[in-house]
Amino acid sequence: MLDLLKIALRNLLRYKRRTLLTASLVSIGVVFVLVFISVSASFKHMMIGQITDSFLGHIQIHRKGYVASIDNLPLTLGLNPKAFAKVEKALNEMPEIEAYSKRIKFGGMFSNFMETTNIRLNGVYPDDEIKTSPLLLSRITQGEKSLQPGDIILPELLAKGMKVKVGDTVVVIATNRDGSVNGKQFLVSGILESATGPGGRDGYIHFEDAQEVLRMETMEISEIAIRLKDFTKLHSVFADLKESLGAELNQQGKPAFELHTWEKLSPFYNIAKMIDLMTFFVKLMLMAIVLISIMNVMVMAVYERIREIGTIAAIGTLPGKIMAMFLVEGLSLGVFGAVVGNVLGVVIIFLLDAAHLTFEFGRQKGLLLSLNMPLQDVFLISTIVITISALASLHPAYKASRMNAIDALRHV
Amino acid sequence: MSLIAARDLSKTYRMGETEVEALKQVNVEIETSSFVSFVGPSGSGKTTLLNLMGCLDKPTSGVLTVDDTDVSKLDTRMAAAFRGRTIGFIFQDFNLMPVLTVYENVAYPLVLVQKTGARERKQRVLDLLDAVGMADQRDKYPYQISGGQKQRVAIARALVTHPKLVLADEPTANLDHKTAYRVIDIMKRIKNELGTTFIFSTHDQKIVGEAEIIYTLEDGELVKGGVK
Ligand SMILES: Nc1ncnc2c1ncn2[C@@H]1O[C@H](COP(=O)(O)OP(=O)(O)O)[C@@H](O)[C@H]1O
Ligand SMILES: [Mg+2]
Repeated sequence: MLDLLKIALRNLLRYKRRTLLTASLVSIGVVFVLVFISVSASFKHMMIGQITDSFLGHIQIHRKGYVASIDNLPLTLGLNPKAFAKVEKALNEMPEIEAYSKRIKFGGMFSNFMETTNIRLNGVYPDDEIKTSPLLLSRITQGEKSLQPGDIILPELLAKGMKVKVGDTVVVIATNRDGSVNGKQFLVSGILESATGPGGRDGYIHFEDAQEVLRMETMEISEIAIRLKDFTKLHSVFADLKESLGAELNQQGKPAFELHTWEKLSPFYNIAKMIDLMTFFVKLMLMAIVLISIMNVMVMAVYERIREIGTIAAIGTLPGKIMAMFLVEGLSLGVFGAVVGNVLGVVIIFLLDAAHLTFEFGRQKGLLLSLNMPLQDVFLISTIVITISALASLHPAYKASRMNAIDALRHV
Repeated sequence: MSLIAARDLSKTYRMGETEVEALKQVNVEIETSSFVSFVGPSGSGKTTLLNLMGCLDKPTSGVLTVDDTDVSKLDTRMAAAFRGRTIGFIFQDFNLMPVLTVYENVAYPLVLVQKTGARERKQRVLDLLDAVGMADQRDKYPYQISGGQKQRVAIARALVTHPKLVLADEPTANLDHKTAYRVIDIMKRIKNELGTTFIFSTHDQKIVGEAEIIYTLEDGELVKGGVK
């Protein structure tokens, strides 16, 4: 058998060291990109999971204007029962929604009878809240993993600072929307580990207790957190929800609700976006490495073989065939580098995964990095590398095919 | 009808200001199945003439037909195709592909220039390797064989497509005397067997004696020539 591929491979083997060096460079690039993509993607997914599953939910609904002043937890921007009924109806009609939890969020004073400090609290129905934020229970490090009326779950930093333990009695004092102050005693039932992001250091009480502290005659919901069955459908579900609820107007004829995905609510989204950007640049770098190294080798290959090119051109090899000969050579180099790089990369990812790497983010410790095989990326990177190798060989191959046979034969 | 006919064939090289008249009004006809040699000192225009006959270059003026084809009318691609069909080349430096074995070098034109069925290809390659006495070295690479052996392989490669014409520019210049005679001898024998036209150039007066028709070039002019 004698064909273009065979000639190309033999020519590559002719300069073993150079071929090996170039292929290694491509392979190392591929390994680096693959491992980087895999680690950054799993970090990203894990952090998003942590944030959404700890307290944020995937989507949140508020009364229009709430998020703009979310830092001061306004009590005047709640959803009344009529508005909530509309949201509830819309949510119940969507099979993609796993669970939702209504929350009363408010800031107040917290006292252990000796000292007083500020506290931010969520009044929730525990069953709904746990379905919506499944990691909540695991964040309770001490005490009971439940929440009864009259109980309070305290964030650990606050409990530590105020020297409060599970079983202690504490007082929460809050000013309601009309300005009158009210207080209520609570039994500390659990201590909550901090989570990353806003809301990660809030305490929890029962929904009805919140209503009582704030002396609400009818319920006024600050926030509805929503969890989807399938996180990947986030944007389509969000669009549907927005369509069904965005049309609701209040008495002033303005939109009644505002809807946000986690992306608009957590600063981690910017980190996630930056990771995506970095991934893009790493891929770009790989392209540059492949382009430069393969082009370099192919330019050399053509230059070294000018007399051979002259010979085969003289004996009647058509320009297209000569071009194909060099294209196949550059392509083979790229394919070899891509295959070796991908195999190595997958092995390294497998080993890293088996090593059960953990890391810390903010105050969260021991987060387990679980790497999945980036099959899609393997495919994408292979395509990139092979395409770029072809592009890199194109110009040298073209020049080889256009050579004048006599000049090439005379070349020393 | 002759295989090659040159009428007032001239070739002028232009290098900036200076012009070199490499061939001046050459008239020559070469019949099919002849064994022709062009002799002359270095710089007399032998290579230039053979390049024109080989459709590797175009004349500055005059007419050159090879196998009834007006060479100056061929574009690059057509010329390559024409060469692949009609002409075999033997080079001074043998010019075998270093990454191919002896067998593969001879087979090359039947794979990448012409398309020949596998069985016929094998038959032709083995026959020619036999004819040049290289069959037992078929799996060696060019760096493993001597210059004379390389040139014998090159002869087989030039003939494997059954061309009408074989052009050899100083095929023996890099060979010792004994080997040179052997190579010319093989060419002559194959010419007698296959009826291929052979044209070779040389500046070696002793080798010239082997040719049937000898033309002498001097400063680009055909000064003397004809059947011995
Ligand atoms: N490409 C070229 N450019 C300029 N001059 C050339 C070129 N090729 C050959 N010549 C000149 O043409 C003349 C004939 O050269 P050539 O055909 O190579 O002679 P020979 O093969 O008999 O030695 C010489 O004077 C040589 O210098
Ligand atoms: Mg010469």
